[in-house]
Amino acid sequence: MTIDPIDPRRVPRFDHGSRVPGWDEAVDLTKDPAEVPDPATTPVPDDLRAAIEAHIAKYPERRSATVPALREVQERYGWCTPEGIEQAACVLRLTPAYLISVATFYDMLETRPVGRNTIYVCTNISCSLCGADELYTTVRDEVGDDPEFNVRSFECLGACDIAPMASVNGTYVGPISLDEVPTLVQQVRDGAEPLPDKQLARRRSVDPNAASRS
Amino acid sequence: MTQLILFKDIDEPGLATLEVYQRRGGYEGMRKALGMSRDQLIAELEASGLRGRGGAGFSMGKKASFIPKGTMDKYLVCNADESEPGTFKDRELMQKCPHMLIEGMIIAAYAVGANRAFIYIRGEYELQAQILERALEEARGQGYIGEDILGSGHSMTLWLHRGAGAYICGEETALLDSLEGKRGNPRLKPPFPANQGLFQGPTLINNVETLATVPHIIRMGGEEYAKLGTPGSTGTKLVSVSGNVRNPGNFEIELGTPAREIIYGLAGGPHEGREVKFWFPGGSSSPVLLPKDLDLPYDFDSMAKAGSMLGSGAIIVIDDANSVVDVALKTAKFYRHESCGKCTPCREGTNWTVRMLERIDSGEATPMDLDIMASVQEQIIGNCLCVLGDAMAMPVGSMIAKFREEFEAHIEAARERNDALTTAVAPPEALIQGAVA
Amino acid sequence: MPRPETRMVTLSIDGREVTAPENVMLVDGAKYGDVEIPVFCYEPKLGAPVGACRMCLVEIEGIPKLQTACSTPVKDGMVVHTQTARVHAAQEAIVEFLLINHPLDCPVCDKGGECPLQDISFGWGGGRSRFIEPKRHFQKPLALSPLIAIDRERCILCYRCVRFSQEIAEDYQLVLQERAAHTFVATFDGHPYVAPFSGNIIELCPVGALTSQPYRFRARPWDIEGSGSVCTLCPAQCNVNFTVRDERVLRVLARDHAEVDDGWLCDKGRFAYQAVHVDERITRPMIRDGGELRPVSWERALEHAASALGRAQARVGAIAGGETTNEEGFLLQRLVREVLLSNDVDSRAGGSLSLDLHRALGAPAAQATVSDLEFADAVLVLDCEPVDDAPILDLRIRKGVRRRRVELAVATSRPSSLDPNARLRVRFAPGCAEAFLLALEAAIGTAAGEPRREEVARLAQAAGADAGAVHALADLLTTSGDDVVVLWGERVTGGERGEYAGRALLNVAGRLGLRDRDGAGLLCVPAGTNGRGLAEAGVLPNAGPGLSEVEEAGRDAAGIAAAVAAGDLVALYLLHTDPLRDLPNRGAWEAALDRASLVVAHAAFLTEGIRAHADVVFPAESYAEKEGTVTHPDGRLQRLRPAIGHQGETRAEWQVLAELARRLGRDLGVHTGPMATDQLVAAVPFYAGITLDELGGKGLRWPAREAASAFPAPATAGPFELEPPAPAPAPNGRLRLGTFRSIWAAPEVEVSPALKFLHPRQRAELSPADAQRLKLFPGDRVTVGSDGHSVSAIVALRDGAPEGTVFLETAIPEDSASLLEGPLVEVRKA
Ligand SMILES: Cc1cc2nc3c(=O)[nH]c(=O)nc-3n(C[C@H](O)[C@H](O)[C@H](O)COP(=O)(O)O)c2cc1C
Ligand code: SF4
Ligand code: SF4
Ligand code: FES
Ligand code: FES
Repeated sequence: MTIDPIDPRRVPRFDHGSRVPGWDEAVDLTKDPAEVPDPATTPVPDDLRAAIEAHIAKYPERRSATVPALREVQERYGWCTPEGIEQAACVLRLTPAYLISVATFYDMLETRPVGRNTIYVCTNISCSLCGADELYTTVRDEVGDDPEFNVRSFECLGACDIAPMASVNGTYVGPISLDEVPTLVQQVRDGAEPLPDKQLARRRSVDPNAASRS
Repeated sequence: MTQLILFKDIDEPGLATLEVYQRRGGYEGMRKALGMSRDQLIAELEASGLRGRGGAGFSMGKKASFIPKGTMDKYLVCNADESEPGTFKDRELMQKCPHMLIEGMIIAAYAVGANRAFIYIRGEYELQAQILERALEEARGQGYIGEDILGSGHSMTLWLHRGAGAYICGEETALLDSLEGKRGNPRLKPPFPANQGLFQGPTLINNVETLATVPHIIRMGGEEYAKLGTPGSTGTKLVSVSGNVRNPGNFEIELGTPAREIIYGLAGGPHEGREVKFWFPGGSSSPVLLPKDLDLPYDFDSMAKAGSMLGSGAIIVIDDANSVVDVALKTAKFYRHESCGKCTPCREGTNWTVRMLERIDSGEATPMDLDIMASVQEQIIGNCLCVLGDAMAMPVGSMIAKFREEFEAHIEAARERNDALTTAVAPPEALIQGAVA
Repeated sequence: MPRPETRMVTLSIDGREVTAPENVMLVDGAKYGDVEIPVFCYEPKLGAPVGACRMCLVEIEGIPKLQTACSTPVKDGMVVHTQTARVHAAQEAIVEFLLINHPLDCPVCDKGGECPLQDISFGWGGGRSRFIEPKRHFQKPLALSPLIAIDRERCILCYRCVRFSQEIAEDYQLVLQERAAHTFVATFDGHPYVAPFSGNIIELCPVGALTSQPYRFRARPWDIEGSGSVCTLCPAQCNVNFTVRDERVLRVLARDHAEVDDGWLCDKGRFAYQAVHVDERITRPMIRDGGELRPVSWERALEHAASALGRAQARVGAIAGGETTNEEGFLLQRLVREVLLSNDVDSRAGGSLSLDLHRALGAPAAQATVSDLEFADAVLVLDCEPVDDAPILDLRIRKGVRRRRVELAVATSRPSSLDPNARLRVRFAPGCAEAFLLALEAAIGTAAGEPRREEVARLAQAAGADAGAVHALADLLTTSGDDVVVLWGERVTGGERGEYAGRALLNVAGRLGLRDRDGAGLLCVPAGTNGRGLAEAGVLPNAGPGLSEVEEAGRDAAGIAAAVAAGDLVALYLLHTDPLRDLPNRGAWEAALDRASLVVAHAAFLTEGIRAHADVVFPAESYAEKEGTVTHPDGRLQRLRPAIGHQGETRAEWQVLAELARRLGRDLGVHTGPMATDQLVAAVPFYAGITLDELGGKGLRWPAREAASAFPAPATAGPFELEPPAPAPAPNGRLRLGTFRSIWAAPEVEVSPALKFLHPRQRAELSPADAQRLKLFPGDRVTVGSDGHSVSAIVALRDGAPEGTVFLETAIPEDSASLLEGPLVEVRKA
């Protein structure tokens, strides 16, 4: 009797390692506990403080401004840096741990350094029915290891009508054909508008009834 | 031709501005409403039969009537998280006609006596958020939002709150936690938001489309509105059609329109030479339906009777060029990624399902795994804290049930492919590589 | 706030009729019918249920979906099934789900044998797994702090630990990160989870994911025994359960007592048991011989002490430290008064108060209880820092504010960790509680319509407080409701004007109508663990047992120091205290100890004063070895029970005291521990009739017993006519000196290997404004000095610190603030 040799590449035994940053990390016992940062020892840039306080004013409780504050931090530093989180925590009067807990819950908040240019390629059902998986790999390949980019495969972005699509620094574009990818990436590199004709902002309604009216 | 309500002027240039919106009759519903009593308003909403457009399809009027009377702090929240795969109707409404939503919110807030209102919009909707911010400024400038609105004695604030990417925040209680600045974990119900919602106060939560319909109901009268659609599913509905169709997009239909008319008539049907293989009638959370179901009237009750649901009104069409295993895997992966992780069956069950589907996909499974997988779905359904777990288990379960033969054939084919492949590999070196990878 | 009344309801569970209190959750209600419903995430101590684990699903007739029994309150007529096929299927499903990624490394898991996951898998699981995918594997265990190890593979994400951190301790340091199956328990950016109550999460964790570093792999559950007693490391006197293996304490667990600790422990209480078994502990008698302390036999030590004390007759002063039990204190004052014929015995650090004041402040009618803190309408925290002085009360106050919206006001000199929870914060200059209380009283008068605004302004200024804040406080206390509890630190009545401050406190209490009101009153946080019990046992210079009059009042602690230094007294008897650590004015004590011709000490550790000055050292029992009673600040007598035998040659203190008396020619009539208790009870009229059996495991509040009527009434409990005190000295370039004692300043912490890292070093807490003026930055080394004395400290800035004051710690071995006199000190860069 012969036993079939197993192709180890096809056995997902090694596929389950700790891909989640943090799972395998111990604390650093030389650090002090992270309490609510004391304003006396936590300098916060004035404009960041003002922006966060403006958010706080909208809600009956300060805590509500957590996500807006983290967005401000990300906007300013490119990602939610530990220092940025401490600053936001200082203004919000919360602990940095609370903020990191919230930050890691949400997909759009980055808790590791990333490139400034964000491209979310939707790879959910409708988009992938229209070739999103190839689009994603093409964009990745085109960008290569350019540290200025942060290319992520994303869940449905709510624009399945322009599938396959991507959100390029917040601007929705689609449908994107594979041969448009180099142009798109170059436009981003140049700081130009991404695929202007394919932007969702310009798209008209396809409802024949609505269209027939105007 | 369908009577258009929400999309009537949708491509009118400048509709997003207060001026054009008002020129087209905007804010008339609000003026009328502010002259009515709160009870009258709620009665109109109930008479309209309007059912929530966000997914659960609960009567809007009834939900509003659950909000206790009295002077405590009450809240109105618009659920603009729109993250259900396949759904993009709220996006078009907010982008092209933000004032319709704002007007609806002012009326709804007045009807339930809420003084603080928030629009929770998903973080990815950058353009829509900008447009809404501008529209809100305009409305504040006009005194439509603020103190003593048009002398009615009603005051309210209305702020836009941007999320940051989490599907679960569309679930109403998770949304509330998220709006309170926490992780978006669903809460136990009861208490229901109507009693204890945002900041522990009574809270009315509705979808964008639901709220945007409110001004029209007030303008037309609830009974007039109820004449549209079917008795159980009144009015018109925005339907997002996507996937393997020629003309994907949002369409406003009268509820009860046959699904075939939507998929083939409006969205153009599948591409040349392709057939519909199956379709999600209400977003990726709804159990899939087959071509034989295409002639069902598209409304809440008919979809439920067919074993699925109308959900958010998002139809995803899959044609016969696609494998059900791929779709099942995509679906399961989505829910695994989006599970908030709070409750056991959803957190572990979605993860397990994906792992099994991956094995099925790569040919390391047996038909027995299909049984296990079906049973895991059973173990999830009904046992979770919110319905996200069910939202994976139901469609995945329906795919296994309806396409079992295809799954088995896929397993068989993948296995044969593997067998052909494995003989060519030199194990020891590869083992080391595998260990490093 | 009236406490909720409980009505009983009747429901049916598995066909059985069960009567349970209304509104309890089904899980708890089911217990009334002996039905067990398995739970993981449910823990009522943590507040509202979260419904996360889904283990407790049951079927309730009339509701289509299965419901979580942990979050469904029982209702009359409810029909519940826990044994149907549907419920079984759901339970098996949850267990299967929980185990798919669980490592099942029970053989090497500390929790094995006492693990809810094991028990529930055994009792409710399906006994099979269909999960054939590889499990997740991670590095483990990892440090979460020097005290706690985390094993993330084992975690079942029940939320208990993070809920504790966020909703009970409110330190918000331990959180969940990421989401879905990636969720894990962690801290911010690799910071350790170090907080006063962190150890509770070990006990809460239903699996072996969080383990105690000191306890890891020390024992298996079948090796150990549990032994209930009381922690005597601070006045909170939490109930504990010692885990004992082979006569060694290996662990301390909470022994839930809703009226004392609410089921929590602080980390000092949880980990300082290590001090019982360290090498530093003194376990043999010692005598100073040629300048060195050398171990000797008991016989020699006793004989030496007895003959030297005999020679000193009447010129002996005795001090009892806070950990002294009632019985020990009682016997000590008998030894001093009856045998050594001295009146100089004290247990208070802050100086003597009149007997009348003791009686008025300690009167049963004026007492609030611990649980009153939770149900009060308003709580005033006055001149104490609960988290340092009686940590567990900090959790109780937070609980009241969080769950019952108790209005909290904090009136202290130093910013408090409760500040963020308080509706109102008032700061006054260190040592100015008297002026502050007078101002408060006047402000309460103003609130009642009396024209005393100017007086308030004057007094507030004298107290270094903001008059507006004092008025606001008066408003808060008079308008929140009738149940007001004042939690006051013994330091209020410390110092030269302590008597007047005490009277001012009584005036405020009188104004607020706190006497004779259930649910309202005063609650003192004594400086020492058993401060209340020692006073009641007669360890006061001017009071005998039961706060009785004494013929001739003796000297208080400061008086004793002065008398020894002056040569009027020649011998010192120190029971569980090192004056250099525990008492103010270290300089005076150094002089006294230098001059004393005899210092007899019962001590467990050679702290500075003992090491340098004791002539005879008796090894002191640890609290795990002791029997006897202590009295909680709210009047609850609690019983200590020995968990282990005496270590080394240690003997019981009561025995040593009785033996000394015998050798000095007097039989105290005490031959067993319980005999000492009997004597105490017989001597304190308001303890009358109390027996150890009656105290049992939960103790007993004497103010709630009938014999409380025998409490000696004060001649007057106010209102008193009081003169305004001299105003607080204004900072004139020099700063006011404020002192505090950290929770971690204790010899037990210093010697416990696990806790050592927490033992405090001196730091000078400054406001940013003062630091800027003095050109100081955080981390700078400074000398803080007054009148020739100075200490060295590291600058720490604190935003909330009041301008013009520097805060320093006492009770630490080096650079203790008790070296400084104040009230003003100079801070200079070193
Ligand atoms: C997992 C999940 C996601 C949901 N996402 C959304 C959403 O993105 N938008 C929405 O309007 N409703 C969503 N819902 C439904 C809401 O919970 C809620 O029923 C709805 O906001 C109520 O509004 P309606 O009555 O107007 O439909 C979701 C529900 C679940 C369980
Ligand atoms: S079902 Fe999923 S998303 Fe919903 S609470 Fe449970 S884990 Fe969270
Ligand atoms: S570490 Fe323990 S207590 Fe914390 S979530 Fe995991 S299992 Fe629960
Ligand atoms: S599936 Fe890609 S946007 Fe919806
Ligand atoms: S114990 Fe009820 S859900 Fe966890």
